[in-house]
Amino acid sequence: MRGLLLALLGGAFITLQGVANARISQDVGTWQAAAVTQFTGFIMALLILLFVRDGRRRGLRQVKPLYLFGGALAAVIIFSEVTAIRNAGVTFTISAVLIAQLCLTFLIDSSGWVGVVKRKMKLPQFIGLGMMVAGVIILEF
Amino acid sequence: MIQGLLLALVAGSLVSMQNVFNSKVNEHTGSWATTALVLGMGFAASLTFGLLFEGGRLFSLENMKPWYWFSGGIGVGVVICLTLGLRLLGPTYAISIVLISQLGSALVWDSLGWLGLSKVPFTFQKLVGVLVIIGGILVFKLGGRGENEAATAETDKTSESRIQSEARGA
Repeated sequence: MRGLLLALLGGAFITLQGVANARISQDVGTWQAAAVTQFTGFIMALLILLFVRDGRRRGLRQVKPLYLFGGALAAVIIFSEVTAIRNAGVTFTISAVLIAQLCLTFLIDSSGWVGVVKRKMKLPQFIGLGMMVAGVIILEF
Repeated sequence: MIQGLLLALVAGSLVSMQNVFNSKVNEHTGSWATTALVLGMGFAASLTFGLLFEGGRLFSLENMKPWYWFSGGIGVGVVICLTLGLRLLGPTYAISIVLISQLGSALVWDSLGWLGLSKVPFTFQKLVGVLVIIGGILVFKLGGRGENEAATAETDKTSESRIQSEARGA
């Protein structure tokens, strides 16, 4: 029950993040919104890290340098998401984001590009994606 | 609309790439170290792009409302909820619920127009659309699990950090 509530809350927060960014961007600009939310989040995470100390800083040296820059993608992600929300509404944007996300994640998994566990895209996954696309079409037309 | 669709697809694709990268980092260090690094990188990149496209105007922040300075806390809330939720529910169910909740709260948001975003009126058609998408998510996430129990179990065990960041979003 507690897990269910946490997962529901987590999902709502993810949406709220996009909405808050869109709201802030209306007042101060999109890059500013992205910079401010990332900066304040960074400070808070850093403070928590000081208390939790789950760092193992040496571990970071074993990570392929490219992977350390994954976070930088957020700049483009936030810019695109905010512009999409202002352009097409929250529901439509989140739906399209989820479809692209699930598709590419499965592509990456089944091809094993980045050395992650291989998973095969089977019939249920194709049906699921088909239903999601159909849902977006119902949403808008 | 088409512009919004294309941008949303770009965002979703990058989210999934970022998740893969972040999970690689997470394998070697803790959840909060990863979060701090990811947000720090995001900040540096946003600052760079902002300076590139807007120059000094980037720092004209006079329209900031006080709560904007705490908006980063939402991302921290996401990490806490997902980490604990995953532990309690296991990845498959946790992620399914997170995805559904994202969509459900998006519909509520559009309908109520909170925070001064333009309101998108709620219609029966929208509800049907969202329910079909939720059905699709469930089929995608839960479909065919029985066929290959061993492989699924292995995936569940090895990629907790991976899946944790899968739903984190931007």
